[in-house]
Amino acid sequence: MSISVLDALRPAKKPALLGLVVVVGLFVGAWVHGKYFSDRSPIQPIEFSHRIHATDNEIPCQHCHIYADRTPVAGVPSVSKCMGCHNSVPSVRESPEILKLATYWENREPIPWIKVYDVPDYVHFTHKRHIKAGLACQECHGPVETMDRITRVASMRMPWCVDCHTERNVEHGRDCWTCHK
Amino acid sequence: MSTIVEKLRQYSKPGYYDKFDYHWTMTIDLDRCTGCEACVVACQAENNLPIVGEERFAENREIKWIRIERYWEGEYPDIKMGFIPMLCQQCDDAPCETACPVYATYHNQDGLNTQIYNRCIGTRTCAVYCPYEVRYFNWFTYTWDEPLEQQLNPDVTVREKGVMEKCTFCIQRIRIAKDNAKDDNRRRVRDGEVVPACVQSCPTEALVFGNSNDPEAKVSKMMKSPRGYKVLEELHTTPSIVYLTKVQS
Repeated sequence: MSISVLDALRPAKKPALLGLVVVVGLFVGAWVHGKYFSDRSPIQPIEFSHRIHATDNEIPCQHCHIYADRTPVAGVPSVSKCMGCHNSVPSVRESPEILKLATYWENREPIPWIKVYDVPDYVHFTHKRHIKAGLACQECHGPVETMDRITRVASMRMPWCVDCHTERNVEHGRDCWTCHK
Repeated sequence: MSTIVEKLRQYSKPGYYDKFDYHWTMTIDLDRCTGCEACVVACQAENNLPIVGEERFAENREIKWIRIERYWEGEYPDIKMGFIPMLCQQCDDAPCETACPVYATYHNQDGLNTQIYNRCIGTRTCAVYCPYEVRYFNWFTYTWDEPLEQQLNPDVTVREKGVMEKCTFCIQRIRIAKDNAKDDNRRRVRDGEVVPACVQSCPTEALVFGNSNDPEAKVSKMMKSPRGYKVLEELHTTPSIVYLTKVQS
């Protein structure tokens, strides 16, 4: 005569099934969140395309992000910078996105761009040092010139920074106070 | 056995960063200090120190990275008042560093005893170990009333509840000076290029700051003064701050 454990397990069937559903649900939820609700690729107030500007019209990055090689921040161009060119580009003046730009210009309002690449307040990061060390923008920001909408390609987390500093043998690159403040 | 002892001695030798470019040092001339507390105010403004309020002050929870300690010498009527600015001594053999369970405080290559705020878990062990009592704990998250938050220094983190903090020798200014030196293709910053807030504000120039690895620096010359002494030297913390004692007439 053999004794089966299945009888003993039967009462646990319902909670086990429920648990399985919850676990699967968590995985699916995490995937959906990452795919559709993450902040990696937010919808911007104007559908600005880096592909059109940087690839099709061959505008270098630092034409608009003028502070990148001079200061800690790269700088988002002002509305007047945009209008400086777009005033004299008649071919797209009537396109809906440019009309949005013109509205901001007429209302004297800044465009509320959503920041994609951000570091916490306790991190000291300077664009200047990285540009002067000879890094291309694409090494951290990915192929921006091919993107219609900016997508964050790097984790922007500490291991990501430290890995690069280690790989390139940055002097004192792993001293905490090089990057923390 | 002897080699082990030798090795130990080698590792426990203070000033192991001789091979590095900097050893930030300060001298404080007590003969010049008038106890005006300009350094205290300057530090408060530069390093985003919170104003804790009267009640917390009474509970000894004030945060002052540099403070002026007053002391009396002699007996009435032949009595003299003295001042001694007390700030983190940036010890080479810092007792606080050995105590931290999460390595939030450590010695960096510039001879600075540093504190990583976002790593700190607030055990407060370091403050207990510090013989100079210059580590301060954030018992609360302090806020700045409008429009005072506008004057916060963006180069310094605003600390929150549960974090230990201390004098950094204005590391943000050191960082800026190093940045400028790199732009000019200089290996080291020049003497006098880094001026911490307290040194900058001292009206009598009692405080001198510099790199003692550079024998030509003003601070290196000041350190050689026969008046020089280090506070609680007998504890072998080997502080980086040299005090110049008062000239007695």
